Amino acid sequence: MKIIIINNKGQYNHRIKRSLENLKIPCELVDNTLSLNEIKEKKPIGLILGGGPSIDLSGNSREYIKNLDIPILGICLGHQLIALEFDGEVETSETESYAQVQIQIHDEEELLKGLAPVMDVWTSHKDEVKTLPSNFKSLADSDVCKIEAMKHLDKDIYGIQFHPEVHTTPKGDEVFLNFYEICKSRL
Amino acid sequence: MLSPKEFIDDAVKKIKDEINDEKAVIALSGGVDSSVCSVLVGESIGDNLTAIFVNHGLLRKGEAEQVINTFKERLNFIYVDASDEFLEALRGVTDPEEKRKIIGKKFIDVFEREASKIDAKYLIQGTIAPDWIETKGKIKSHHNIALPSGMVLEVVEPIRELYKDEVREIGSELGLPDEIIHRQPFPGPGLAVRVIGELTRDKIQICQEADAIVREEVEKAEFDKELWQYFAALTNTKVTGVKGDQRDFGYLVVVRMVASFDAMTAYVPEVPWELIRTISRRITSEISEVTHVSLSISDKPPSTIEFA
Repeated sequence: MKIIIINNKGQYNHRIKRSLENLKIPCELVDNTLSLNEIKEKKPIGLILGGGPSIDLSGNSREYIKNLDIPILGICLGHQLIALEFDGEVETSETESYAQVQIQIHDEEELLKGLAPVMDVWTSHKDEVKTLPSNFKSLADSDVCKIEAMKHLDKDIYGIQFHPEVHTTPKGDEVFLNFYEICKSRL
Repeated sequence: MLSPKEFIDDAVKKIKDEINDEKAVIALSGGVDSSVCSVLVGESIGDNLTAIFVNHGLLRKGEAEQVINTFKERLNFIYVDASDEFLEALRGVTDPEEKRKIIGKKFIDVFEREASKIDAKYLIQGTIAPDWIETKGKIKSHHNIALPSGMVLEVVEPIRELYKDEVREIGSELGLPDEIIHRQPFPGPGLAVRVIGELTRDKIQICQEADAIVREEVEKAEFDKELWQYFAALTNTKVTGVKGDQRDFGYLVVVRMVASFDAMTAYVPEVPWELIRTISRRITSEISEVTHVSLSISDKPPSTIEFA
């Protein structure tokens, strides 16, 4: 009954685990080198892909996205990996963003329920999703980044460019609680 | 949000289970991490924990007294004034890296000497999450440490899952004084990183006095809330001045104030001019060896927060 968090070696991955623990959401932080089967054996109800310094260090993350039929939330690099897996495009942004920005939520969906119209979030990235993958829709944008959040049209696969796990995203916990609700409702 | 009370209850129980009736030691520096850790473990195993506070002679003004007064009643506490020993080992050394090495090695010597008097099986360390998150390789939650003499201790890290803000919350809940909980970060080698050139008792004292003035004035102006660190560094440069009708030749002190979110990057914020002038006037009038005060205005990067 737990959510598996994939450690993509970003500095905030452990924060994701702590955020979930503080919300009493059962979870486990695991290395991204685990095989698909090792992940499946843990019987996760949902998957969170953490951020990280580079696609080269993202281990088997794309395997998990392709093959697991459970709700998935990609954060930062995790979000970009989802885009790549579904034939979207990721590019280095002209405006690197390491700051709190305000995002405009134009489609809450279940993940951002109760958070529209605007939300202050922490961003820390130089790459970004430039072209939305096919079968995806954008949920939020900001002045510095066009696709701050996205969702698969039919599946519970979400990507967010910002970091809900740090305290400079004041309502970040809401995102995790919403994701937990999505996971539980699919059981 | 973390519930401090829940965390403490849980940690007290876990530590008791792990250490049982064995003895444990901790190197208590007076910083927030080792202070919270000491008190937390003390709550759990009482006098089976010995907290060792080593004064290397490079502390800030009033710091040793503050640490002693905070902990002597509350913990099984040993104070070691090893300042002579450290300064002796540092005599004539000017290279900052060399200073750090000597201090690190000496510290282990002194700590080991004290720890060997206690039949300890465990070493408590105040490691927190950022300390290990960015180090590469497998995350080890249990490991041993071998001291140079061959003494082997099992390492216990009760607050390794926590972040600084959470450590402070735990500290508050444990009733630690505000001066400890909100103490500015202060590096292990102490004033060795803020006194350029050879470390003599005189120079250390000048730095201590100047630093105390900076702290006092910044706090009085309530500017400390804007800052990550604020301190005085003593350069090895002597400059010409004039005090009264006398030509003077004294030290140049640099005042540094930086704001930061996480110490990875830091910037010098706009500092109230009155505050700077007061600090400068007080330093040059109260410390006769100082002739000139300057303000550091470089961010990190390219500079570091500390000086040496």
